[in-house]
Amino acid sequence: MTEIGGEHGCSLVGVHICQRYRKRIVEPVLHCPLSPDSTYPQPPIAYTEHYPRLHEFLEIGAMKFSSALLPFLAAPLAAAEHTSNWAVLVGTSRFWFNYRHLANVLSLYRTVKRLGIPDSQIIMMLPDDMACNPRNSFPGTVYNNADRALDLYGDNIEVDYRGYEVTVESFIRLMTDRVPENMPRSKRLMTDERSNILVYMTGHGGNEFLKFQDAEEISAYDLADAFSQMWEKKRYHELLFMIDTCQANTMYSKFYSPNIIATGSSEIDQSSYSHHADSDVGVAVIDRYTYYNLEFLENKVRDPTSELTLGELFDSYDEDLIHSRPGFRYDLFNGGADAARSRRIVDFFGNVQNVEVDNSAQRNETQWQEELEAIEKMIEEAKRRHNESLNARPQPLNVMEEVQHSERQQNTHREGAMRMDEELSWKKQAIGGAALLGCAGIWVVSSWLESM
Amino acid sequence: MLSFLSFLVFNALLACSLASSDYHERLLLRPLPQSTLLASFNFRSNETSAAFEQQNFRYFPRSLGQILQHAHTKELHLRFSVGRWDAESWGQRPWQGAREGGNGVELWAWIEADSDDEAFARWQTLVNSLSGLFCASLNFIDATRTIRPVMAFEPEGDHRNATNLHLLHGTLPHEVVCTENLTPFLKLLPCKGKAGISSLLDGHKLFDASFQTMAIDVRPVCDTQGQDCLLEMDQSVDMVLDVARSKRPQDNPIPRPVPIEQIECDTSKHYNGHDTCYPLNKGTEPSWSLKEIFGRSLKGACPLTDAGPGSETLCINTPPERDIHIETDGQFTESRSSADTMRCYQLPIGSDFDLVLPEQQMSTGLVLPEPQLYAARSINGHGQERGSAQSVITNPSARGMEVVYLESLPWFMKPYLHTLRAHVDTDSENPVRETYYRPAVDRQRGSHLEIRMVVPPASTLTLTYDFEKAILRYTEYPPDANRGFDAAPAVVRVLSPNTMGDRKGIYLRTTPLLLSLPTPDFSMPYNVIILTSTVMALGFGNIFNLVVRRFVGAHEVPQTGGLKAILQAKIARLTGRS
Repeated sequence: MTEIGGEHGCSLVGVHICQRYRKRIVEPVLHCPLSPDSTYPQPPIAYTEHYPRLHEFLEIGAMKFSSALLPFLAAPLAAAEHTSNWAVLVGTSRFWFNYRHLANVLSLYRTVKRLGIPDSQIIMMLPDDMACNPRNSFPGTVYNNADRALDLYGDNIEVDYRGYEVTVESFIRLMTDRVPENMPRSKRLMTDERSNILVYMTGHGGNEFLKFQDAEEISAYDLADAFSQMWEKKRYHELLFMIDTCQANTMYSKFYSPNIIATGSSEIDQSSYSHHADSDVGVAVIDRYTYYNLEFLENKVRDPTSELTLGELFDSYDEDLIHSRPGFRYDLFNGGADAARSRRIVDFFGNVQNVEVDNSAQRNETQWQEELEAIEKMIEEAKRRHNESLNARPQPLNVMEEVQHSERQQNTHREGAMRMDEELSWKKQAIGGAALLGCAGIWVVSSWLESM
Repeated sequence: MLSFLSFLVFNALLACSLASSDYHERLLLRPLPQSTLLASFNFRSNETSAAFEQQNFRYFPRSLGQILQHAHTKELHLRFSVGRWDAESWGQRPWQGAREGGNGVELWAWIEADSDDEAFARWQTLVNSLSGLFCASLNFIDATRTIRPVMAFEPEGDHRNATNLHLLHGTLPHEVVCTENLTPFLKLLPCKGKAGISSLLDGHKLFDASFQTMAIDVRPVCDTQGQDCLLEMDQSVDMVLDVARSKRPQDNPIPRPVPIEQIECDTSKHYNGHDTCYPLNKGTEPSWSLKEIFGRSLKGACPLTDAGPGSETLCINTPPERDIHIETDGQFTESRSSADTMRCYQLPIGSDFDLVLPEQQMSTGLVLPEPQLYAARSINGHGQERGSAQSVITNPSARGMEVVYLESLPWFMKPYLHTLRAHVDTDSENPVRETYYRPAVDRQRGSHLEIRMVVPPASTLTLTYDFEKAILRYTEYPPDANRGFDAAPAVVRVLSPNTMGDRKGIYLRTTPLLLSLPTPDFSMPYNVIILTSTVMALGFGNIFNLVVRRFVGAHEVPQTGGLKAILQAKIARLTGRS
């Protein structure tokens, strides 16, 4: 780390730049076929641990980090770190009187967005529309406090699943990524084994179930199985599960997959309560458990560099204020309660990743520059080929295609509405009358013949 | 009252002067009766076809462009609408209804494909991608909500390979339109709502409007030889704001009673007294400013807008006597046209701009152009099983109108075509000229009814048909089934006379219908389970008892001798066995 001097200071902002740099560079390299005389000794496999070149890129950056970053670098990197943060925020209640559940979700949305998770990595499920609801006397807004200081709906919001889309099926499909082919990226949880996920759910629930839209339920077993499938598919690194509903702690009691920290608002046979109502909105605006979580997050976790741990967040819960006993589950977590409680809050609520610096590879400074040039050449080459292919498209081919099209045209049948014409109704009625008369005649004749 | 020019001239002017520029935006403000204000935003960006095909996007948004390329969509029309245009008071619709959609979401597109199946597959790709882009449940536009209109829509653009194009149309009448749809709409604009007129677009006011519609239209435009083609994207927002309602502060929007001392009383009322007051109607135009109405200040011009004559960004259509004050620190120019009823402003770049209109007693007003047609639709009948729909189309003008009437009905509302009756109050002749119909198939597709009719001058056409309501399966009911089910608005297109003379056409839409279907009691399965269990317990239990037990008289039961005898017998058996 010390052998490379540099003058490009990389401040704290630089962490994000470096992160992005890493991702951008890696992808093309991973997919480019390498020629034998390439400067790469072996094809890279995964991009954090098994790919030394990239660490050298980062090393350059790391050298120029300001001293603000040093605590991060000095932190022990024994456990594999996460490289991305995702949040799945689910409200499960429809109807106006459940305003507070949507306010809960939107409050969490605001918090994770404030701490740096971008909209593309937040999946929000809102089953009903509160902001533009005709009953809302504050159109376009959702408040989580009667002081109405903060408009949660604001002017920049992206809801990924809304209305009837919020079902148990779509939630489980989202978590396990078993989605139809056409599913847009914004509705998918594109995580990998280095992603930390925050899963927050709120709604009406009971012993080992949570209702979705007052029409169906997800059980604790469904949830546990979905998480286990996620673990098998390497879809998360660590997962924080947080739930605010009645008898919430039963919902995580069936989990059996590793690296999950779970917390809930109330234990079995306990209700979770709303915090307070706004008389102008006309309904309760937030739940107690979420309110006190937010109070901590808003007052203590002021920026993404916060060093506060989950343990400190959990210790802040006051049963007398929450009116129920919050529960915690650490036994699935690698390292148990101590490791779980020492995770930073921003590991789940924020989007800050540590930078790993690989000192083991002793390479000189010129090598990475050569590699950088090689990559540039590859990009140039690819651009050139692309441009050539654009220009060199032979003109006659187009004609051929068009001919084929017109041939196909002739035997295509277009489905659609049929033209209905006025019918000559008298003629039809005459035919029908004649048929009836004929039948009656046959019957008369046959009965006459029988009677003979 | 003087009469003043209106929309027609203006729209034509906009269309011809700006076709070639790369990016242009314009806001037209127009006071309407009952102290309402129509604000029409229009944003137009062009990209050459060659650049578009090479994915070289400048003003055209990349996110939408790639979706269109992926889904082979040549022309796209997407609408998000809330509310009803009150044609009786507000007159003709903005853009003659061509930039308007039915309540909820409406989408139609021309897709290039070799077969119907391929076209539908691409349509599915398109609706799913758009659903991700616009945060709307557009993915619910499946086969049951898709139709292929025959006469109601014509392509607006110039298409070279027109035989391969398939028109598909889908509606979601129940879809909520809210801030999360406005966010992606603004992100498509080159200035992203940070500068230019888009900086006025605020979800809090837009979704509080009496009527609002957001439209996105993409079409190819070629020159007369069909050589140089442009891809033109039109984004427009039309909204009708209630001036008094919009001026309420956002943090305190609930109207509170004004103290009686501050009310000016109408002393001409006979009941006027120290405790009774009828508020005085001063008959003045209300005062307003852009900042009050939109809740935000206009942040100058978007620097990407083309400069030059005819490219003024902000226009207001008022009588010339109306006072308008400009508040800005920057340079701006004002130009007047259409007998001074249209005042247009070139906005300064980088400094705020505000129009302030004081309260004013007016002697002249604007004459609103009368709409070509009025249309209304309702459900008649009673009961849960069947009903009838009635559409009333009124032609107030002195000329006969040829119209196309399009209905896209959900599959659970099954019309009986033989009951279709069209009747004109002034004429006994059947007004129906042509009918296209595609019946519904349960759970697979909806009904599609399209009728070409002639509405004689100054007369009213009444169209009725009966329908039957289907009974859904238990799992097919939505969570709020008792609210009812929405049937999409009917689309009415005026074929002739087409006064606009362009390819956008003249449209109007009815309101959606709320259809109440027979809805079960959703606790019914549990009732059934409980009742069945009870019947089983009673019936089966009794029969089982009768079959396996023998009933004897009490004296016939052998004496067992109590616990002692039982124990003795057990012991005897044990000892006996051992």
